[in-house]
Amino acid sequence: MWQVRTVLSFLTIYFFWFAVFTQYNQIGTYTRTTMFAYLLVAAFLRNLVLWSDSYHACVEIANGDLNNYLLKPLSYFGNWLARDWADKILNLLFFVPELALLIIIFRIPLVFPTSLWVWAWFIVLAILGSLLYFLFSFLVSSFSFWYPEHDGWPLRFFMLMFLDFLSGAAFPLDIFPQPVTTLFKFLPTSYFIYFPTQVYLGRLSFSDQLSGLVIMLFWLLVFFYLVKIVWHKGLQIYGAYGR
Amino acid sequence: MALISVSHLKKYYRVYKKEPGLSGSLKSLFHRKYEDVKAVNNVSFDIKEGELVGFIGPNGAGKTTTLKVLSGLLYPTSGKVSVLGFIPFDRQPQFQKQFSLVMGQKNQLWWDLPALDSFLLNKEIYEIPTQQFNQTLAELVKMLDLGEVLKVQVRKLSLGQRMKCELVAALLHLPKVLFLDEPTIGLDVVMQQKIRDFIKGYNQKYKATIILTSHYMDDVKELCSRVIIIDKGKIFFDGKLDAIIKKYADHKILELVFSGPVTKSDFSVIPAAKIKDFDLPRVTFSVPRDSANEVAAKLLTKFPVADLNITEPSIEDIIREVFTGRDMS
Repeated sequence: MWQVRTVLSFLTIYFFWFAVFTQYNQIGTYTRTTMFAYLLVAAFLRNLVLWSDSYHACVEIANGDLNNYLLKPLSYFGNWLARDWADKILNLLFFVPELALLIIIFRIPLVFPTSLWVWAWFIVLAILGSLLYFLFSFLVSSFSFWYPEHDGWPLRFFMLMFLDFLSGAAFPLDIFPQPVTTLFKFLPTSYFIYFPTQVYLGRLSFSDQLSGLVIMLFWLLVFFYLVKIVWHKGLQIYGAYGR
Repeated sequence: MALISVSHLKKYYRVYKKEPGLSGSLKSLFHRKYEDVKAVNNVSFDIKEGELVGFIGPNGAGKTTTLKVLSGLLYPTSGKVSVLGFIPFDRQPQFQKQFSLVMGQKNQLWWDLPALDSFLLNKEIYEIPTQQFNQTLAELVKMLDLGEVLKVQVRKLSLGQRMKCELVAALLHLPKVLFLDEPTIGLDVVMQQKIRDFIKGYNQKYKATIILTSHYMDDVKELCSRVIIIDKGKIFFDGKLDAIIKKYADHKILELVFSGPVTKSDFSVIPAAKIKDFDLPRVTFSVPRDSANEVAAKLLTKFPVADLNITEPSIEDIIREVFTGRDMS
């Protein structure tokens, strides 16, 4: 069902923009072709970067399954990172053929990066974005240390709803007025999808790419230390329930 | 040098209390009454290498909490804990490779996989050399008589088989320190005995230090020469099992079978003899330890007695009575 959901959500976004472009020729700086190219890359990243099994960590905290990991000479964090990537790869194995099918059915025009250099750069950013989201997601999971009564889903759901909007999964963030776009540049969420997609499409100047990378690395560092601190605190009050 | 050392350990849980019902739930959104539950309250003990110690106490006494602190799962509120020279909460790999915690009500085996897959996973996690792994596994499988079930999905196993597999999973890295939390819970008498024999064997063969908690006195009686009795987060006895009787049993049990008619009121002439159980022709008295012989002599001369038996009260009785705060005599 989850798989159906991902395809459906892509179709929803696609048809929305399809309808818009029957009225207008251009939205902001986006033509029909660039907009659909953006949406395709964003859909791909949505299923790579924002696809994470690590929300289960909050369930494991709440029901005490975390015990099994804490007892062993094993990094819980590293364990989740590995599980996360395994899950992402599995998801892409399903989603990429589905996306290919949709491209053929709706005859969506494809846009590829102009050089190998941009490809490599895009892949690096996608990996960094995944890492950023992983840390972010882990931080949300830590909520369960303080509120183990539920499995953390309410907060997770809330977060996912906002993320579709804030990460640029549904539309490019630079169709807003300049001040809003600038604000997005400093938020960590735009680095999940929007920033790598812009790089893929070659829509950013060199200085914009560089400053984006610096801000992204800054957030990575911030989240890394936040996770470290919050987990240290969380484990101190962890009740090791489940008995 | 003590292998496990606990001094003035305290672990308080913060819990909030909710009034029942919807109105209580709404209230708790805005105002929560928090309270400290003193799960472990100033506990100290030392355990030497190779000791097999029984940890007993009623539900909620703090046994499991203590074991969880010793395993590094819980952060102590205050006090010092050291196991094998490590501070458990630091969770250093060198420490984790030398101990195991087995909980009778919680499993570490993967539910959907055969036990053997979980064992192989543990082999990698604990970095056990292949040769040692094969040898230990063969030995444990033989000791626990597990040959057939290793390749069956864990969810399909019986409780007894699963518990045995849990033990194997916990012992593959040959831990020097073993914490067993109710390992025999829910098992039948035969299986309990097998697990017990196994624990004893492991203790002797590998000189392992073991702490065992159990509700079954038989576990403790058979396995542990030393017991620590804990109640409401405090230790109130730590020593040899026999010593409990000497310390707490200030009375003996006289069991008489009468050959003629007697009534309850007949025995009021011997005030020291309290009737515990009156089921003619058998009557059981509880008598202060010092006057046991004297009371027995009086009963023999004054009543038609067919049989007389003087015994110590059972450990179960003593412990139960101590816990419920009742007068033991």
